[in-house]
Amino acid sequence: MFSKIAFNNVKRSFKDYSIYFLTLTLAVCIFYSFNSLDSQQAIQEMNKNSVFRESLELLMSGTSVFVSVVLGGLIVYANNFLIKKRKRELGLYMTLGMSKAKISRILIVETLLIGIISLIAGIGLGIIVSQGLSVLTANILSMDLEKYKFVFSLGAMMKSIVYFGIIYLLVMIFNQFTISKYKLIDLLNASKRNEEVKLKNSFVSVLTFILSLAFLIFAYMRILKSGLNAEDTELIITVLMGVFGTLLFFFSLSSFFLQFAQKNKSYYFKNINIFVLRQINNKVNTNFLSMTIICLMLFLTISLIFTAFDLKGTIDKNSANTYPFDASAFLVADQKEDLAVNDIEAYLNNIDFTFESYEKHAFFDEYLLDLTIEDLLSKYLSEEEQITIQENYLYGPVSALKISDYNAILKLKGHEDVDLKDDEVLVVSSYGTILQALPEYMKNEDHITIEDKAYAIKNDVPIEENIRINKGSSFFYLIIPDDFTGNLQLEFSSFNVLYEDRYYNKSEEKFSTLFNNLAENKYREIHPGLVIGSTIDQIKERENGSAALFIFLGLFLGLIFIISSAAVMALQQLSDASDSLERYKSLKKIGVTDKMINGAILKQCLIYFLLPLGLAVIHSLVGIKAVSGMFHFNYESVLISALILVIIYGGYFYATYVGVKNIVKGRN
Amino acid sequence: MQQILSVEKIEKYYGNKGNITKAIDNISFNVNEGEFLGIMGPSGSGKTTLLNCISTIDHVTTGKIIINDQDITKLKKKGLEAFRRDELGFIFQDFNLLDTLTAYENIALALTIQNRGAMEIDRLIKDVAEKLDISGILNKFPFQLSGGQKQRVACARAIVTEPSLILADEPTGALDSKSSRLLLNSFEKLNKEYQSTILMVTHDSFTASYANRILFIKDGRIFNELVRGNDTRKEFFNKIIEVVTLLGGDVGNVL
Repeated sequence: MFSKIAFNNVKRSFKDYSIYFLTLTLAVCIFYSFNSLDSQQAIQEMNKNSVFRESLELLMSGTSVFVSVVLGGLIVYANNFLIKKRKRELGLYMTLGMSKAKISRILIVETLLIGIISLIAGIGLGIIVSQGLSVLTANILSMDLEKYKFVFSLGAMMKSIVYFGIIYLLVMIFNQFTISKYKLIDLLNASKRNEEVKLKNSFVSVLTFILSLAFLIFAYMRILKSGLNAEDTELIITVLMGVFGTLLFFFSLSSFFLQFAQKNKSYYFKNINIFVLRQINNKVNTNFLSMTIICLMLFLTISLIFTAFDLKGTIDKNSANTYPFDASAFLVADQKEDLAVNDIEAYLNNIDFTFESYEKHAFFDEYLLDLTIEDLLSKYLSEEEQITIQENYLYGPVSALKISDYNAILKLKGHEDVDLKDDEVLVVSSYGTILQALPEYMKNEDHITIEDKAYAIKNDVPIEENIRINKGSSFFYLIIPDDFTGNLQLEFSSFNVLYEDRYYNKSEEKFSTLFNNLAENKYREIHPGLVIGSTIDQIKERENGSAALFIFLGLFLGLIFIISSAAVMALQQLSDASDSLERYKSLKKIGVTDKMINGAILKQCLIYFLLPLGLAVIHSLVGIKAVSGMFHFNYESVLISALILVIIYGGYFYATYVGVKNIVKGRN
Repeated sequence: MQQILSVEKIEKYYGNKGNITKAIDNISFNVNEGEFLGIMGPSGSGKTTLLNCISTIDHVTTGKIIINDQDITKLKKKGLEAFRRDELGFIFQDFNLLDTLTAYENIALALTIQNRGAMEIDRLIKDVAEKLDISGILNKFPFQLSGGQKQRVACARAIVTEPSLILADEPTGALDSKSSRLLLNSFEKLNKEYQSTILMVTHDSFTASYANRILFIKDGRIFNELVRGNDTRKEFFNKIIEVVTLLGGDVGNVL
């Protein structure tokens, strides 16, 4: 009997609360899809790299927990909404003499049914979506999938079931709590309760609105001026100002707008605009807090998705760099050990690694001088550049290479040797692209003083070719004479390799295996030294891998955020529609046409959905502008982020509009 | 005197073959301009169905309803909406005021859906508020008003569009006796001073005694008709009570 009631309720809920089901299903679907990443072909390729696998696993499990907390909150909120709407029905059960325990049982069966259905539908949908995701993954990782492979992840399925199972369990407990709290009289009179109309002083509302705009504009100006590079406390103040401004904005907007509209009589007295404006004023007034949160979530979503896609574009552009060698490795020198231990050539001998004759290579030592970058350039560094140096970890002792080692590297590349006199140095650095100070320095100074000895700078502009391929994009070396007399501290002992085209694959296999083994500390017992090496392919893979991770996380969080906010909006609209049913009935009775009512519903939904989105878009534009220095702004990423946003948000909007229309029409 | 409403042999059936309920069973009557007609009857007698049919909310099964020379049973949906908007004014038992709007805006709504100009709306509202003595409460929200005030605002909303016919469904049903009296005085004033045509459904004899003429309905048929003529309200009230008693077994329902 009770399960029959529950079953019928669920059947009815499907129609009334399709949004709730849609949200649950979508949430499960997204959760499954992203957790099934590790069973994808392309990712499995990447997973051969242990570092990538571990960071993927860590990130995924971390975000999964975070996401399930967000979703749990959303589902409990949505469920609470539905229970509130059903107060009368529950009250009816109680007047018929049903005990609270039995009502609880009905609700438990309902939640169970809804949970099972949404889980099955969500995982089913997730399996379909993950096929598409695997194509996207391959694309991001710039890999060609030879043949299509069906992707299914048992682990992801189990994880979805467990996580959502816990969420549904929480919902059940929450329902019990809610039921036990209610009194019969409140349940029966629930729909008669009058909306509390907040009367606000018009002057105050205008003032608050202006204040909120001032806060927002001030926050925008701050962030545009300093970007994200400001000090932490400064940044926090800016963010707080933005949040507070947003809150005030929604708090005062509708009252301000109403004041404004009331002045414009010809608009105010057109059709049923009076009604629409008052409805919105009411809603925004009561929901300003949730609107603020939704606006900020949308802002995060837009920024996340945009950043994720933009990062991909940035990395793609970076990896278009040409690498002068096929592989490089370095041994981190240990100051306590003697020279022999700190020599990479000896290390390779120790582990029985030999170069084939066709693997051309050059060994070299990298030293640290008794001179720091900031001292060297101090005269030319602006205050901003001081900060740049700090943030990009460019500070510290200057690295140096002896000219004979440098010539060996040049020879490997097939370049001419360079002659360097005893009192000359060469500057090899990419800092010129970040710091204006370096070109300035090179232009104005012709000597570098190291430990009170002056050396003439041989080149006028810095040489921008890197010493080894795994050095990173920021480097600064002085090439010093072989019989340099100053203090030298060995930093790295390194080598570069150039494969021969014929044996490219063989060599690549050999070196990447070596480097993977090194990363897993396989030779630690033979030799204590720490050696780190990479081939070009490994570097590219790592870059693509991190791009993929960022995109996945951005997408995952972004999608969850947008679904959560759209679902909350939709549920609020729907529940509000049921609350306003009497009003719509009254309107019909005094002769308002269906067309006008539909128009009013559309207007309300539009305004309600667009308000937080509009402000979020403005926030994002400012935010993206502020960080634009870090990214290459490309239109592709704008387009993709906008598309995702429009499809999901628009879908929810449309579903809400139709739902509200049905509620208003259906029960008249 | 011009005829505003003419109901000709209307019937309204509910249910289907073999199980037919006749809610209205062959009713005919006329209402002239400036008349204040009351319709009385016990619960289930069909008075609300009759009102719903006249107000175009429901459709008759057979018969004609002619308002201002227009047969409303033949109107299509669009025409019905326009007709309801322009020719009829409604006053309901539960007021049907929008709780989110001020009294002023509630009245204005009836005009804005007719696309009247802003200046005209303001003037008309001021006028009607004057008539019904609600000028002082125009800027209040319904929850700040008493039941009687609410019903007078609803009344103002009904007559502000100057409809041919005002339909009132148990207007005093949710009011205490003092508020009822005030409201009915307003009705009387509207009827006498402004020649509004009012059709009021009620089962309260006191309320009915304010009308010029009363139709008694029982089981879907007209059972009796009383005309006030030159009687005082007190005399008329006593006559009503007599008929109500005559109506028989279900006096309890009638009173």
